[in-house]
Amino acid sequence: MLAYARCKSVGVQKQGKDRRVASGILEDELYAMECKIVVNRPTLIIESVQTHMKRFTTNRCTRAEKVFAKAEGWKLDRDLDGKIKKELGRHGCRHMAILLVDCCRALARAEVARDLRVALEKDPGLDAKLFINEFYGWNPELADYLRLQ
Amino acid sequence: MIVDFQMNNLTTVEMIEQGSWRVISRSEDDLFSAEVVLDVKSPALDIRQAKVEVKRDVLGLVQDLSTATDKLIGVRVGPGMTKIVRAVLGGENGSNRLAELVLDSMEMLINAITVPELRKANEMAGVPFKSESDGPKVYLNDRVIGEEMVRLMAGNPRMKDSCAAFGDL
Repeated sequence: MLAYARCKSVGVQKQGKDRRVASGILEDELYAMECKIVVNRPTLIIESVQTHMKRFTTNRCTRAEKVFAKAEGWKLDRDLDGKIKKELGRHGCRHMAILLVDCCRALARAEVARDLRVALEKDPGLDAKLFINEFYGWNPELADYLRLQ
Repeated sequence: MIVDFQMNNLTTVEMIEQGSWRVISRSEDDLFSAEVVLDVKSPALDIRQAKVEVKRDVLGLVQDLSTATDKLIGVRVGPGMTKIVRAVLGGENGSNRLAELVLDSMEMLINAITVPELRKANEMAGVPFKSESDGPKVYLNDRVIGEEMVRLMAGNPRMKDSCAAFGDL
């Protein structure tokens, strides 16, 4: 028998030229929660964060929801994951912090996937590594945050 | 609007025999897919077997990490694991994504071990609960760990100030 299972799922949408939206859910034996964010493109600033603690363990867990709005105005950069885990995880909820990091990470990777899809349509034999170098050239602001490897 | 990128992760923890755990984590997104399998033994919670397999790497960026993966054997699930796993699997010649997937797996084992304790706490000191953030038609949280037990749990230095529930106490 399984002792524990955790499922996380994130979907990313492009809403117009300068708006990206990610929504994530987390479900396990103890917790269920969801997180939605809006990020501006190309500034990579988090414009809105909406969290919902659906299933939790203590009478105080819902206090965490208020903490996550603090991420509004933060930028997707190399310090972001640590900041979310330390400042929002410790004062809010560690599990929601992980989900928020996943949403931000997925949102950044979606930028690559989207451009790669277009590039492959034009050139099915495209060299992926060459594409990545070019992508960083076109999107230097993402180089600081992307974790493709 | 139609979603144009998805990431899905599933981690399972199973006791394969008394004191031996198997943790399997699978991560999938449009560009990358990988699976981690860890066998961990109580009471030290040290890794006895580790397998890291890249199933799909559209960008071809992740190198063969089998030698690095072998170095996970003996690493203990507990304090200090983050630094060790990132040093073994992450970095420029490794894969930060795989390192995080291994750490996720180790973290989920800790959660699995915590479940019976939280269940006990809920049975012993659970209080009927109705939150405004729950419902309005279906309530997922009919009973949660109450204030008294929360204060008691916050006495544990590892729990104190670890999140909103155990802060300001």
